[in-house]
This record gives sequence, structure tokens and C-alpha cells, in this order.
Amino acid sequence: MLAVVCAFAALILLFLPEGPRASVAGAIRSTVVAPLVTIQERASLAQRAFMSHDSLVLIADSVLRRSQRLDEIAAENARLRELLQLGEAIAWDFVPAEALVGRGMGSDLTVVLSAGARAGVQRLSAVVAADGLVGMVQQVDATRSIAIIWPNPELRVSATSADGTAFGIVSAHQGSGVERYLLELRGVSFRSKLAIGSVVVSSGLGGVFPRGIPIGTVLEELRGTAGWERSYLLRPAVRPPDIISVLILRPGNVAGMEQVWLDSAHATRPR
Amino acid sequence: MTSRTLWVASVVAILIALHFSLRPILEWRAGIDFLLIAVLVVAVRSRPGVAAVAGFAFGLVADALTPEAFGAGALGMTVVGFAASRLKGAFFADNVMLHAVFVFVGKVAFDLIVVLAERRIGGAALAVQLLAWTPLAALSTACVGIFVMSVVRPSRDRRRA
Repeated sequence: MLAVVCAFAALILLFLPEGPRASVAGAIRSTVVAPLVTIQERASLAQRAFMSHDSLVLIADSVLRRSQRLDEIAAENARLRELLQLGEAIAWDFVPAEALVGRGMGSDLTVVLSAGARAGVQRLSAVVAADGLVGMVQQVDATRSIAIIWPNPELRVSATSADGTAFGIVSAHQGSGVERYLLELRGVSFRSKLAIGSVVVSSGLGGVFPRGIPIGTVLEELRGTAGWERSYLLRPAVRPPDIISVLILRPGNVAGMEQVWLDSAHATRPR
Repeated sequence: MTSRTLWVASVVAILIALHFSLRPILEWRAGIDFLLIAVLVVAVRSRPGVAAVAGFAFGLVADALTPEAFGAGALGMTVVGFAASRLKGAFFADNVMLHAVFVFVGKVAFDLIVVLAERRIGGAALAVQLLAWTPLAALSTACVGIFVMSVVRPSRDRRRA
């Protein structure tokens, strides 16, 4: 009898509408499971610290060396801005977070992030990684949040080519096998042909994703598209196994975001 | 509460802690399912109804980090816990191989129920999951399960008595 009740309760949870189901999951996550999630978060951080210790030491050395000149440059910058009668430089705002693994059956469409409302995370905030777009915050608890990631068919991003000549909507490619982990750029006007290898970035339209976040690169044009539009298959900028440390962008002040990846592309270019 | 019950409760607590600490550190695609072993440990020492409730509770804990398929893990663990408790008489002789088969079959059954209940993958991806990753995960879980089951098996208690 108990077993039947439990199985029935599990089935009810499974078929509940998204809103109530998210509420139940959120309640469990923020009470009973909260200490366990904290353990997992700490374990992930410890593992990452262990694996990246050597490279972090090198980075810390470089940062220290650069920071020795930073105060001087910041003071000079402030002086020049004052002379030109400019205000404070615009700075975009973000919350760093860790992505915690779920069941690990290769079918995860969401990730639990280790920052929530207390850290200033809001619903519909963009989530990015060092290589580009990861997803969007869908649900916010006090200390954690849930983000849908790009393999989720619910996620759609207004996109443009890096040179701004073609616009379209990016969503998960509903293929099978290896192609399951690719993206699709749809609705590109017929006259805008993209070359293989072209970088596709967020267009900034829609108000969720700031302009300039890398989404993926063009692999091929999809055939069989009807009408006067083109569709392209994209290789995502961020692979699902690489969704580990992310930044949650606070909505609003995102001016200058497109420069971030542009600058990093210039910085990593061989000289 | 007897000392033996306390010992088993400690083993279950350690397994839950390992699921949320060691598992993410190992980052294996075919990872060890410590929560499932914990459910099986409870199942071999309790009545089917209690095992089903424990499975349901542990399943909810596992589901909390996969909200889009919330309930699938609870369903899987409930069924596996109940079935394991009903079948324990057949599996719990002093045979290590039978323990391994017990855990292996439990993990395969759990994955099968979860993947089908989630309805998120299909076609080739489903086949790869069920024919490659699930057996590998079941194998790694069974390796750990042999050790845990040998520590908590009921026949050890009977021998002591």
C-alpha cells in the first residue's frame, strides 16, 4: 500500500504543470537538500581548485604584476575623465556562480547555479561562460537558481553574424546522435549568406541577452528550408561538459558587453 | 535502536554524503550511484513498504538537482526499493556475485525507469544511454555495492545471533 502511494505521488510530481512542480522542487532544494547541495558545491570547487592549481598560480602572478601599474592608470584615467567632464565609466554587473551537475545521464536541459536572489540574481538573467552563451535563469531561490541551458528547446536567442549582416533566431537543433548537441540559426534572410566558420553572436534584441555574446560558429547550411530564408547548423561556443563556472549577468546595465569577447579574442590572438 | 541499526544508518548517511561529494569530484559519465546503493541497503533490511518510502525520499533528493524531470528519480527509486526488498530473499545468500548482480540489476532498472519517465531523449541517444552508459554506470555502482552490501548484509547479523 505504501509503495503504491509513493509511486502515485511520484507520478503526480512528474506530470504536474511546470509552475507547481518548480515550487515543490524549490522548496525541497532550499530545505532538506540545501546542506547536500552545499556539500556538492564545495566538492566541485575543491576539485576545480586541485585541477587548476598550477595555472591559477601563473595567472595570479600575472595579475599581481599588472595590478602594480593599475592604481596609477586608474588615477590617470579618472583625472582625464574629469578634464573631459565625463562621469564614471560604465561597468556591467555580474554574479559569479558554479553550475552543479544533475543526474548526469547526458540529458540535462537545466543546471542548478550556486547563486540566488540573495546574491542579486533575477529571473531572465543571461548566463555566460568564458567562451560564450550558456543559457538563461528561469527560477530563483534564495541561495540557488535554475538556468535553462542551450540544449533546452525552450531557449531561443536573437542572433546576428559577428559583422552584423545577418539576423536570425538561434535554438537547439532537434537532431539525433551527435547532432543533438548542435544549435540552429533560423530565419536568416535569403540574401544573407554566411560562410562556414562565421561566428554568430547575440544581437541584443529582446532585452535578455546583451549584444555580442558568442553563441556558436556556422558548420553548414541546412537544406530543405522553405521560403525566402536560410537556416544554418551551428557548433555551440560552450559545450555542455564545459558549463562549470559561469557568470550571471544582472539585467539592465550591459553597455559595453560586446567588447568583452572582442577584447579577449584580440588578447588571445598570437602575435 | 540497536547498534546494528545505527551502523546501517551511518552507512546510509555516508553513502548520501558520498553521492554529493565524491561523485561530482570524479565527474564520470558512468558515475557511481551512491544514492541507489543507499536505497538497496535500506531495502535489504526493511519491509517492502518502508523500502518504497525510503526510495521515494531518496529519489526526491536526487530529483532536486534535475527540476525539469522532477519525480522521475522518485518513481525509479520507489520501484527499485520495493522490488529489491521483495527479492532480497533470493539474492542475499553469502555469494558476492549475487550481491553484484543485485546492485547491477537495480541500477539498470532505475536508469530504465528514469529515462523512460523523463521522456527527454529518444532514438539513437536513448539506445546509447541504455546500452552503453547505463551498463557502465551499473558496473561501477555494482563494484562499490559489493563492498557496501558485504558490510550490511542481513546474513551477517543472523550468523552473529
